[in-house]
Amino acid sequence: MVYEQEEVLPGAVHGHRLSTVVPSSVTGEVDYALSDADLAFKLHYLRGVYYYPPGDVTRGITTKVIKDPMFPWLDDYFPVAGRVRRDAADVAAAGEGHPPRPYIKCNDCGVRIVEAKCDRDMAEWLRDEAPGRLSQLCYDKVLGPELFFSPLLYVQITNFKCGGLALGFSWAHLIGDVASAATCFNKWAQILSGKKPEPTVLTPENMPGHSPASATAPRSVKQVGPIEDHWIVPAGRDMACYSFHVTEPTLKKLQQQAAVATGTFELVAALMWQTVAKIRGGVETVTVVKNDAAARSGRALANEMKVGYAEASGSSPAKADVAELAALLAKGVVDETAAVAAFPGDVLVYGGAHLTLVDMEQVDVYGLEIRGQRPVHVEYGMDGVGEEGAVLVQPDADGRGRTVTAVLPRDEIESLRAALQDA
Amino acid sequence: MSSPPPPLGNNGLLKNVHRFVAAVAVPLAAAALAAAARLLPQEATSGWLRDARPVHLFLAVFLPAAAATVYLLLRPRAVYLVDYACFRTAPNCRVPFSTFLEHAKQVPALNERSIRFMTKLLERSGLGEETCLPPAHHYIPTYKYCTLDAARGEVDLVVFGALDDLFAKTGLSPSAIDILVVNCSLFCPTPSFVDMIINRYKLRSDVRSVHLAGMGCSAGIVSVGLARSLLQVAPENSHALVVSTETITPNYYVGSERAMLLPNCLFRIGGAAALLSNSPSKARFRLKHVVRTLTGAQDSAYACVFQEEDDVGNVGINLSKDLMTIAGNALKANITAIGPLVLPASEQLMFAAAFIARKVLGGGRFRPYIPDFRTAFEHFCIHAGGRAVIDELQRSLGLSDEQVEASRMALHRFGNTSSSSLWYELAYIEAKGRMRRGDRVWMIGFGSGFKCNSAAWECIQPAANAEGPWATCIHRYPVDIPDVLKH
Repeated sequence: MVYEQEEVLPGAVHGHRLSTVVPSSVTGEVDYALSDADLAFKLHYLRGVYYYPPGDVTRGITTKVIKDPMFPWLDDYFPVAGRVRRDAADVAAAGEGHPPRPYIKCNDCGVRIVEAKCDRDMAEWLRDEAPGRLSQLCYDKVLGPELFFSPLLYVQITNFKCGGLALGFSWAHLIGDVASAATCFNKWAQILSGKKPEPTVLTPENMPGHSPASATAPRSVKQVGPIEDHWIVPAGRDMACYSFHVTEPTLKKLQQQAAVATGTFELVAALMWQTVAKIRGGVETVTVVKNDAAARSGRALANEMKVGYAEASGSSPAKADVAELAALLAKGVVDETAAVAAFPGDVLVYGGAHLTLVDMEQVDVYGLEIRGQRPVHVEYGMDGVGEEGAVLVQPDADGRGRTVTAVLPRDEIESLRAALQDA
Repeated sequence: MSSPPPPLGNNGLLKNVHRFVAAVAVPLAAAALAAAARLLPQEATSGWLRDARPVHLFLAVFLPAAAATVYLLLRPRAVYLVDYACFRTAPNCRVPFSTFLEHAKQVPALNERSIRFMTKLLERSGLGEETCLPPAHHYIPTYKYCTLDAARGEVDLVVFGALDDLFAKTGLSPSAIDILVVNCSLFCPTPSFVDMIINRYKLRSDVRSVHLAGMGCSAGIVSVGLARSLLQVAPENSHALVVSTETITPNYYVGSERAMLLPNCLFRIGGAAALLSNSPSKARFRLKHVVRTLTGAQDSAYACVFQEEDDVGNVGINLSKDLMTIAGNALKANITAIGPLVLPASEQLMFAAAFIARKVLGGGRFRPYIPDFRTAFEHFCIHAGGRAVIDELQRSLGLSDEQVEASRMALHRFGNTSSSSLWYELAYIEAKGRMRRGDRVWMIGFGSGFKCNSAAWECIQPAANAEGPWATCIHRYPVDIPDVLKH
């Protein structure tokens, strides 16, 4: 059977072929309960791309090589292969008139794999620094409208003309935060390399929280909805992810300007806060999402980032010192993690109430080595971000600079590029 | 193109020498016996022996001896099963229910009703969550990737996998294969399967090869029957390879006709290779009978499993509603044919008596006597065509749950693998350690036509271990198969 060739725009990613990978053994009748914190993040989707340079090693990484380790990997991470269901027995919700509590039915439905091609060289692609390139390399589906048939994870394998390879992960934030996601992917790579990864801990089971919820949403987040079965709140404006590199000299300069020793995240985030404030005006408050490795419970899949807000008192952030803002981010964040989790309504955490600054310092993204080949570049963006936007500060390839992904309305991105060039 | 007659070789020469010796020795012995009788003292021999003429004496001894010799020389040679191997499904081909349904939802032709129908069907089908589909069927949408290449890839995976296992098990070199019979109903490329095997394993240029296409799910037994016939006229110590499989890749039905969606839901990949021989050395089973029953002369039977196009032009296999009735009738016909060959005299007498009684005294007063086939066989391999087929056969043959366990569990673990399902069931019985020397096995296959084919085997040497398709999961079986699977 011959099918018509699709129209291909030059340089675009095309030729998408979808298939499914399932756990290698039967999971059985198992349900995975979602915690309150999990449900708070259900409207967001992580998009992470790992770039592998062309060469002999990358040439040997065929689709089969990528897929085969996924079967035993999903035996350990069986909730990722499940599907969202609603708990028909949730009488309390029915009484209050909103849809029953969602959970994950671990029915081995699987993870979607997308194979695609790009007729450009990877080096050229990276050099271009085009905004929105992330969405080409990560399959941009969300949960819903058919929740029961929506995969929680898509893995896109894009082959570039030069032989380079990009792995794009589309991960529903619902099942885990970026630290859980990165660890999950690293474990797959360990199985690929023939190593036996550490056991995956999925206990203790998530229980719904019992702390009293407030009537209004915490300041860090914005209430939306109520959301039925299509778990995305379209931002009023066209959002795009733009990744750029913050070099070591820039960081050193920022560090010198600060009076006291300040963390790199705080410095970079403060710089971004100031830049966005200059472009947009305002932005007195920011939401801060931090990953505190020490405070994690050890569960393989969990949403345990700390959510809070910081308020610039006095002068507007556009005019304030970067060092001041950094100090504020270090010490002056009001933690609202518990309140956000306890809030019963649907919320937008990232970009909902305010510009959101995300700390990915301790996330080991460069650990995803395939056959000894480290990624040459990794960038994480997000979908389902509200209009206020989000900034993700993540490690870069050599660990000395930082990669920053800004998820902003498309018209602000141009201004941002210009502002960064001046800086 | 006719091939040159096979060289006589050592085997042929020896056989003719045997015949010559027999032809000369028997009359000589008879004559010697006759002469000796006359020379014995009078008291030792009875009167008529002395009085009979030499010619009559000679004939009286010679004729029966000659008849016996001719019978022994001309009777069909016994055919043996040296060993068999089934394709071992790999976890990376696994298709759980939910994945199957999710993929089906992406097919544009299938609407809500069709999906609900397929869901209900799968829930009640008796299939488990570990059955496998070929790699092309893991893509969305499936039909776009079911190319000729992909189909050949499936053959590579299944047939060569089973053959590699078989050659390793038996230690036989591929160049020792004299006969090759392959059956695959729905995929018939050029060059054919047999050529693919000859090419891959470098078989000899004079191998007698046949590919049987279009013969349905019972073609496995047809292949065995054909291999047997070829072995019976082949020189001594000949080996025949029988490969039974069904290639799923090119046969995904993309329409919404309900009767034609059934095969999509039930058929899964599988294949088996069996090595037959006409010499008993290293043999594990002896093939006793092959009985084929074809009911295609009746229109309803002919049309009951029919490959055709639906209203929109999509090709699929249409299963008629009276499939079970037709299967039942074909089975009755087959039982009538195989019964006299395998049943003990007592059962045959009972059957005959009941038959006569019904004829003479009127059918209403006596129910037809179903012979107890448990007196003729220890193990039963019933084609795992579907839960209904196995249930129906269990009922009509009066079998216990344990006796149909192999069929039910093969359906659960592997799905309907068409002609190779009988071999998976035999592998189950052996993996469970239930086979003993002397046990008799009855393989019953059903398929389009409508055919009901039987093969009767006797075990000479049970399997030494549980190696094979059940190796990784036999400890979990038997499982309780619910009426409706929750998913």
